[in-house]
Amino acid sequence: MLNLFSPTFALLLQEAERGRVAPMAEQMKQAAANPDLSKFLVIAALLFIIGVAGVLTRRNIIVIFMSIELILNAANLNFIAFSRYLQQTGNPNALAGQIFTVFVIVVAAAEAAIGLGIVIALYRNKETIWVDEIDLLKW
Amino acid sequence: MTLSGYEALFFWVFGLAAIFAGLLTVMARNAVHSALFLISSLVSVAALFVLSRAEFIAGVQILVYVGGVMVLFLFVIMLVNVSAEERGKDEIFNNQRQVTASLIFCLLLVGGVLFSVNRGYQGLKANEKARPEALAQEELKADQAHATSATRSSKITSDSQDLGNGLYRYASLPFEIASILLLVAIIGSVMLARTLKQEASADDVDPDVLKEEIARDPELAKLEPQAD
Repeated sequence: MLNLFSPTFALLLQEAERGRVAPMAEQMKQAAANPDLSKFLVIAALLFIIGVAGVLTRRNIIVIFMSIELILNAANLNFIAFSRYLQQTGNPNALAGQIFTVFVIVVAAAEAAIGLGIVIALYRNKETIWVDEIDLLKW
Repeated sequence: MTLSGYEALFFWVFGLAAIFAGLLTVMARNAVHSALFLISSLVSVAALFVLSRAEFIAGVQILVYVGGVMVLFLFVIMLVNVSAEERGKDEIFNNQRQVTASLIFCLLLVGGVLFSVNRGYQGLKANEKARPEALAQEELKADQAHATSATRSSKITSDSQDLGNGLYRYASLPFEIASILLLVAIIGSVMLARTLKQEASADDVDPDVLKEEIARDPELAKLEPQAD
């Protein structure tokens, strides 16, 4: 079992011998002190995945809608981060990301209004908000 | 883009706050708590928008999401959730097998996304021409060039002006389409949320359905507009 990992250990030991582990830690510290585009992308990705997990696991339809908002928001964060990145590299189309974000927010608002209207209509007819009890189309 | 100093500190604070609030949104038992955690997640993301110099979008995020959409969510939770909350002990997640499968899927997704972000960003960095330090210097100079505000404690950016210009110059047709989409959404949600009584009094129900419903609830017959 240990053999499986021994190349990694050997590599680590080698690196430590050459005194590279301390510089690596230093590098990580530097990266934490100066978060760049990739850190924004990681946070957006985590938010997105939390949203996906919420949609897949929750039973309450309203919480599922909230998770969808979380997903859209993660996409917005990506747009804004890339817009900023392009702005700094002097790209003339850098504002496209921000413009797109406005439209994402508009669509999210429309989606929430319609979705919650459907939830209310559904609750009147079926008296439930658990998605596993809403199985009209299942046979 | 590289943040430094206080900006870096605020980035980590708000980034972690957004992620933890997102997690709590998904895991909270009570839907109202979910909504409140989602609000704090959205506000944290708005702060990240400010850090990436998108002040107008940050304002829109707070006004539209927190002020509009989330209030709508809370209203619907209050309308719908009363009896569901009374049941209390109900399971909030799907059955065990579905949850396990979806969590495995999500873990794979996390791995894949982090891997691709790492790889892709290294490629992007290799393509960069200017040094980040030089860019930061330029950025600092650009920030200093902005006009000071009336209180002389801060600078006024031209972000909203640029965004407005861009919106009308490059995206005027989508802008109009978005306004029509919102109109359709308003009408649609009003139509969807009407009760049978409201539909009957507007003479908007299929006659056969109405006859059935009157058999169940005679009150409805009074609401029906009399044909003469």
